[in-house]
Amino acid sequence: MTDEMKRVVIVGSGDGGTFTANLLASKLRKEIKGGLVSVQLVGEHLLHPFQPGNLDIAFKGAVPDKYVRAETDLIRKGVEFIKDPAVKIDFSARSVATKSGRTLPYDYLVIATGAVADPSKIQGLAEGALNFHTGGADSRRVWEALQSFEGGTIVVAIAGTPHKCPPSPNEAAFMLDEFFQKRGTRGKVKIRFLTPYPRPYPAEKVSHVVEPMFQKKGIDVVTFFNVDSVDPAKHKIYSLEGEAFDYDLLIAVPPHHGADVIVNSGIGDQDGYVPTDKGTMRVVGQEGAYCIGDATTIPVSKSGVVAHLQSVVVAHNIIAEMNRAKGLLEYNGRINCPMEVGNHKGIFVSATYTSPPVDQSPSTVKYYMKRSFAMIYWRALGGGLERVFDVFFGQTRFPATEKEEPEKTAVAPVASQGGKREA
Amino acid sequence: MSTTEQRKVIDSRGSFCPGPITDLFKAYRSAQLGDVIELLATDPAAKADVTAWTQKSGNELVGIVDEQGYARITVRVTKKR
Repeated sequence: MTDEMKRVVIVGSGDGGTFTANLLASKLRKEIKGGLVSVQLVGEHLLHPFQPGNLDIAFKGAVPDKYVRAETDLIRKGVEFIKDPAVKIDFSARSVATKSGRTLPYDYLVIATGAVADPSKIQGLAEGALNFHTGGADSRRVWEALQSFEGGTIVVAIAGTPHKCPPSPNEAAFMLDEFFQKRGTRGKVKIRFLTPYPRPYPAEKVSHVVEPMFQKKGIDVVTFFNVDSVDPAKHKIYSLEGEAFDYDLLIAVPPHHGADVIVNSGIGDQDGYVPTDKGTMRVVGQEGAYCIGDATTIPVSKSGVVAHLQSVVVAHNIIAEMNRAKGLLEYNGRINCPMEVGNHKGIFVSATYTSPPVDQSPSTVKYYMKRSFAMIYWRALGGGLERVFDVFFGQTRFPATEKEEPEKTAVAPVASQGGKREA
Repeated sequence: MSTTEQRKVIDSRGSFCPGPITDLFKAYRSAQLGDVIELLATDPAAKADVTAWTQKSGNELVGIVDEQGYARITVRVTKKR
C-alpha cells in the first residue's frame, strides 16, 4: 500500500454494498491496478440472496437455492471481499473492526448494512407466526404450511414499520388468494389483512388500486392495527388499540431494526438506522462516510432498487471526493417497487421526494417486468445494465450545484433529512 | 390516569404519508395511559389520518391547531392494551 493510496471500505455485502464495490472497481480500474485506490467489501455471508425471491419461495414453492449466488462470483476484479463481519465502526479513528480482530482503516466508508427483520421484538410473534422476511428457509416454511392448510383463517399482518419491500404484505395476500383459487379451496379460506396504516396500502393512489381488488377477492382488511402481541396457544393476535383476531395460520412481517454493528458502534438512531443526508447520502456530520439502502434513516422504501440507485450516487461522490470526477450528485428519492396483484398482473409503486405515486392500472406487462428482474438482478449487480436502467428510471440523480467543491463540503454540515416520504 | 403523564412532541414536518402517522404510532407504542402526544405535520393527510385513528381506537383527539405552515395535532392516550 502506498501513502497516496485511497482506501474505500464498504460494510455490508448485500445489494447496495456489492453494487457500490463493483461500480467503484469499474470506474477506478486503472487506479486500483496502479495501487492508488483499494476497495474492500466487508461481509458476513458467502452466499448472496435475491431477497424478493422470498415471495416466490413462500407462495409459489420456488426452491430457495434458485435465488442464491456465491458472493465471490458477483464481485468484479479489483474488489477485495473480506468475509469477516464488521463489529465496530469508528468514525473518529476512521476504521472498521471485524469479528476476527482485523482493523480496516478507511479514507471513504460506505455503510450498507441493511435492516434486520426481528420477530423477537413482538411478544409471541416468533412462536406464533411464519414470515418471509428472514430468509429463504423461513419462506419455505410458509410454503410447507400452505400445503397442509385445508381451511380456516389466514391472517397476514404488518407487525412493524418500516419494513423491507413495502408492497410485500399486499403481495402476500394476493398470492394467497391465487394459491387457494388454483387449488380450488378458496371458499374454505378466509384471508384477513391487518395493517397499522389508514388504508390497505400507505400511499393513497396505490391504495386506490389495491382496495377494490382486495374487496373483489374477498380479502378482509383491518386498518389501524398496531400489533401488540401474539398468543400462539390461543391462536390470537392483539393490537395496541385493543382489537384481537383469531387465526389458524399467521403470516406476519416482523418489526425491523438496524444492523448490530450500527447499534454496537453507537452511530444509529433509536432503531439502529444511520442518520443520512437524503441527497448526497453522506452520514450526517461525518467526513468521508456514506450510507445507502435499508441502513439509512431516510424514509423512502427499504428496497433493493433504492439501494441500487443510491449506490450510483455514492460511487460518483466518492470518486469526486478523490478529485477524479467533477461535482457531487444528489439522489432524488426515486423508488420503484413492483407489486404482484395476482392473475399475472402487476403495478409499480414509483415516486420521488417531490412526486408521489400516481393513479395506474394493473398490467400484464408490469407483472412480467417484475418477474424478469429476478433473472437480470445478478447481471445488474455487476453494473452491466446501467444504461438500460438510466432509460427506464429516467433522472434519479442531479448535480449538487451548491456543493461543487467536494473538498470544501466534505466536512460541512450536511443538509437536513427533511422532505421525507415512505411509499 | 397516571399522575406522571408525559408530553411528547413528534416533529414530522416535511414527512409525507405514512411518515406522520408512523411517527405517531412509534410514540404511541412507548406511551402510557394519560400521556399526551403532539404531532407536528406538514402533510395535509395527517389531520384526517390521525382523526380517523382516534375515532377507531378510542384515543382522545385533544385538538388540531393550524400553525404557520404546519398542523399541531394533539392526542391523549386513553386506550392502550
